Amino acid sequence: MIKVHADLHALKGFHEALVRFRYAQRDVAERGRDEIEVTRASLAAKASRWQARLEQCQAELDACRAGDGEEAADCSAYARAVELTSERLEHVRRWQQRVDLEAAEFGGPASAYLDLLEVDLPRAESQLLAIIASLEAARRVPAGET
Amino acid sequence: MTTRPDRDGDEQLSLLGTAWEAAAQHWQDEVARQFDADHWTPLAQRSRAYLGALGTLLDVLETAERETEF
Repeated sequence: MIKVHADLHALKGFHEALVRFRYAQRDVAERGRDEIEVTRASLAAKASRWQARLEQCQAELDACRAGDGEEAADCSAYARAVELTSERLEHVRRWQQRVDLEAAEFGGPASAYLDLLEVDLPRAESQLLAIIASLEAARRVPAGET
Repeated sequence: MTTRPDRDGDEQLSLLGTAWEAAAQHWQDEVARQFDADHWTPLAQRSRAYLGALGTLLDVLETAERETEF
């Protein structure tokens, strides 16, 4: 039997805290994954919106340039709209790439941490339970019989 | 209003640290030292590293949302 000198109440409190921590951190990891997906979906929706807007602006510019008036129409406002919309779409796409890159880099440490929560932490909890059981057993033995 | 997961994680780690300190205060034998080296220190270090990385990523996600609002 392992000889343990400790406060039984504090050890039990720490064991309970470890179990709570494991569940809480699982939730943290899950919410982290959700945040990534929410942002990806949001950026995809924005990119789609600006793509549709760009197509519309381009169609308006084309229509202006193909105008059937005898004098050349001033299409500069339509051209500016195409340019602005295109810049915004590219901006959103760059952020999509950045988010994908950062999420991929985070994937390795996140996966390793989940392993810690699923494998290492339960092992620590079991060892602590064994220590607590050993301590309780030692305290049940009357003085002089150890 | 919901808090960010990394901040909740930090708070949970802080609570666990307090529970460990309470246990370690009266538990200072060889078994305690072994448990500290094998379990507690790696857990605390890796948790801090993970939560730091998560915090950095969440900052990027928040910036991405903000920067693409036109």
